[in-house]
Amino acid sequence: MSTTTRKGGKLQSEIPGLSKALCLKLLNDLEKGKRPVLHATKCSLDNSIYNHKVGYLTPGGKKVATELNVSSVKKMSRAVFMLEILLRNIESGAVNTKRELYYMSKGETKNTPLLKPLDFTEQGESDETIDFLCEILECYREEFNCYANDRGGQTYSQQLVVTETLTDGDTAVVDLSKLGTSPFQPKNRPQNLRLSAKKKIDFCLIVESEGTANTLVANGITKRHNCIVMGAQGVPSNAVRGWAKLIQDQLDVPMYFFGDLDAYTLQNIYRTLKAGSAASLIRNQDYSAPDVKFLGVLPEDIKRYDLFDYPVKENDVQEVRALKKADDALKNDPFFQDKRNKGLADILRWLYKNKRRCEQQAFFSVNPKDPTMPEKIIVDKIKRGEFV
Amino acid sequence: MAEQKKISSSSTAEYFSKNLQQVGFSSPTKAVLTTLKEAVDNALDACEEHQITPSLRVEIDRLGAGSIKNSERIRVVVEDNGPGIDADDLPKVFGEYLASSKFGRGRCTRGQQGIGISAATTWAQLTCAQGAKVVSKTKNMRKAVSAMIEVDIKNNKGVMKNRETFDWDRPHGTRVEFVFDGRIQINGEAGLLNYLLGTTLVNPHLQLEYKLPDQEVQKVERVSNDVPMIPEATEPHPHTMKLGEFIAHSHLFGRQKVSAWLKKGFSRVGDSVIEEIAKKKELGVPKANFEKLVDQLADGDLNKLFSAIQNTELKAPSTNSVLSIGEDAMSKSIQRLGKVDFFSVVTRKPTICDFKPVQVEVAIARLEQRGGDADDPSQLLRFANRVPLQFDKSACAIAQALSSVNWRAYGLAQPKDAFPLGPYIFAVSVVSPFIKFKNASKETIDASDELVEEIRRALIQAGQKLSRYIKAEDKANELEEKIRYIEQFGPILVEGLARITQAKEDQKKRARDGLMKILGRDTNETEKELTDANKKLEIQKAKDSEEQA
Repeated sequence: MSTTTRKGGKLQSEIPGLSKALCLKLLNDLEKGKRPVLHATKCSLDNSIYNHKVGYLTPGGKKVATELNVSSVKKMSRAVFMLEILLRNIESGAVNTKRELYYMSKGETKNTPLLKPLDFTEQGESDETIDFLCEILECYREEFNCYANDRGGQTYSQQLVVTETLTDGDTAVVDLSKLGTSPFQPKNRPQNLRLSAKKKIDFCLIVESEGTANTLVANGITKRHNCIVMGAQGVPSNAVRGWAKLIQDQLDVPMYFFGDLDAYTLQNIYRTLKAGSAASLIRNQDYSAPDVKFLGVLPEDIKRYDLFDYPVKENDVQEVRALKKADDALKNDPFFQDKRNKGLADILRWLYKNKRRCEQQAFFSVNPKDPTMPEKIIVDKIKRGEFV
Repeated sequence: MAEQKKISSSSTAEYFSKNLQQVGFSSPTKAVLTTLKEAVDNALDACEEHQITPSLRVEIDRLGAGSIKNSERIRVVVEDNGPGIDADDLPKVFGEYLASSKFGRGRCTRGQQGIGISAATTWAQLTCAQGAKVVSKTKNMRKAVSAMIEVDIKNNKGVMKNRETFDWDRPHGTRVEFVFDGRIQINGEAGLLNYLLGTTLVNPHLQLEYKLPDQEVQKVERVSNDVPMIPEATEPHPHTMKLGEFIAHSHLFGRQKVSAWLKKGFSRVGDSVIEEIAKKKELGVPKANFEKLVDQLADGDLNKLFSAIQNTELKAPSTNSVLSIGEDAMSKSIQRLGKVDFFSVVTRKPTICDFKPVQVEVAIARLEQRGGDADDPSQLLRFANRVPLQFDKSACAIAQALSSVNWRAYGLAQPKDAFPLGPYIFAVSVVSPFIKFKNASKETIDASDELVEEIRRALIQAGQKLSRYIKAEDKANELEEKIRYIEQFGPILVEGLARITQAKEDQKKRARDGLMKILGRDTNETEKELTDANKKLEIQKAKDSEEQA
């Protein structure tokens, strides 16, 4: 089984067969008195490969082997127990969140005395079990009908039309220009969506702050320009990542990310959007948009537009941690080490060295009397090619 | 011009009566504990001095409200079967400061200076206007004497009042009763119970009967009939002396030759040392000076002699003057604290710390009855010359040594630089004729680097022994846990796999058998480890009993 050969949607039908084969192998090993071993893909930076032609982080060859012994028998029993619940969901078409699955598993253990020892005391334990299964079968949890909250990704456009195939086979067509001031909220099942444009779209702008995306639209960016504006709402959720990938694949428009100039944004938000993350190596293929460019804030924007920037405060735990991580990323992260991402690595190095940050909202300081000034700067930057 | 103020001198008693906080009477709670402690110390010292196996009776009552704010009127009675005190000596013992048979003798007795019990009498006198009520009888007395002893504070003299004689139904002994203002704290680190239990722990030969307020009479039997022989003091080592002490010491040997004084009056000074000093001209002590009588030496000569000795290398002081409780006695005694799961005791060889002989002993026990949380710090019992220390723990050499050991290496939980956690009792005894306390109330042992290191080594040795018990127990728990795991999860795993694969019953059975075989191998390994751990423990136990024998 290989993550690079399959496309989302096709694999779900394969999962029951793969699961059964895996369980049969375990059972046969047991019959022979041989210790069964489960191999899971190692999802960490040291097993991440970045190839600019692929565009996102892919798993290397490292596997985590779990051999059956007294210490692992509980983990394996829990995995088989959860697999049974998930396979039942696939069969019936039922969909659940991780939290719901946690409670479902608790219901099972409550009603079946034999299963009592498997009881999950916290959701973290059942989440780990689901992730473990995904790493063994190299599949997404969505393929197990386990979906996350559709957080972030509110999208505005006067040209974009979304066609969704529903589970009962019906289709729903959403023309974003007809939504008034409401945004379109993408789902994290991108495989069910088809995109089209009523008119040629010039660019897609992904804004880190949901509020700023809203402001740009309210001030008329989508009226003045043929574009898509999306709010990422911080670290992109699977919905945002899948949605960005869909826009990239189906519309072929230039995509730009506009966010804060700081180490956290660059590593945790932008890098995840563009190339995925080490924790989600298996899903990066369908949950990253390698064509997204970093529009800013760039270090040179500070001088060019005389923006307010400030040193990273010691009590800013998130940013202090991100700066520490930056040093490690420059040395070990294959994404920042790739020479084609030198521009991005230079920004990270600049941040690490100067320990300063500049927020995206600083563009509002350029001409406070002109509410469209940030939009003008953004469009200007796109035109002049001032992005990385 | 202002009138010149008259300079007056005060008696020792006057000084202490105004500074009782320096000798353990700084609060009503401490007053009760210190009074009890002084009376018990004296009783035990007297018994040991006369090789009597001590039987003590302690009684503490509340008599009503005290005269000091937030205090109660307390009665403390301590009765012993010791040698008794001659009637004429009673005022000196209970009513005169620094009138002691132990002062400066350099022996490992509990009392050292002759301050404590007189301070207790003073406190009773100041708060309740009556001194110590004493009954005593020596074996030569036909009748016992009963009297009230008070301190004549102006003159530092004991005063005897209400002297009476009566028939006492015992051959000898002493009973002392104090009524004073104080406050009773029974439990906790600074509580009376802790003091009494601690005292029994380091005195295996003690039989103690005690009655605390609102509690039944408790009796703790002795676990040893051997009364410790308190080693005779060795002569002072010149390197532990100051010039003034050296000169004062010379007065005791006035009509003897200087060489004889040095050889008889000091330890570690012999002919070779004298010859070495005489040879080195730069030291300024000619050979002839050693032949003079001590009286004939001028002050300048004594100064030179003192400096010469200080600058000459001498052997470290002898360790013969220290006293140990012994591992055997400690092993028995620690079991009087309550039911223990296991314990480990270590008696270090006497050694020299800061140029003073010292011996450290450690007992660690895990109590069966575990009051409190597993995350509570362990209990530390500190002893100096077999007297429990209950205050100012953090500055004490013993506490610092305990925190400095890495107990995690021996299987105990321990936050960084802190006491280990869990239901353990650590008892550490430091015995020395010259313990350096941080204060006159003898609550804390000064934490010199050498002493802390010596205590630390004793703790490490005890920790190593203890770890064998913990390891054996851990292995037994591990085995039990593994068996429980196999029994619980084995069938669940096979059933789950069988349901997903729709396996038949015979396939299920084979898989179940195979699984039990695989997991059984894991338990075999732990069983072997457990056997090894138990073997090591048995070897240690055998070695311990051999050493104790």
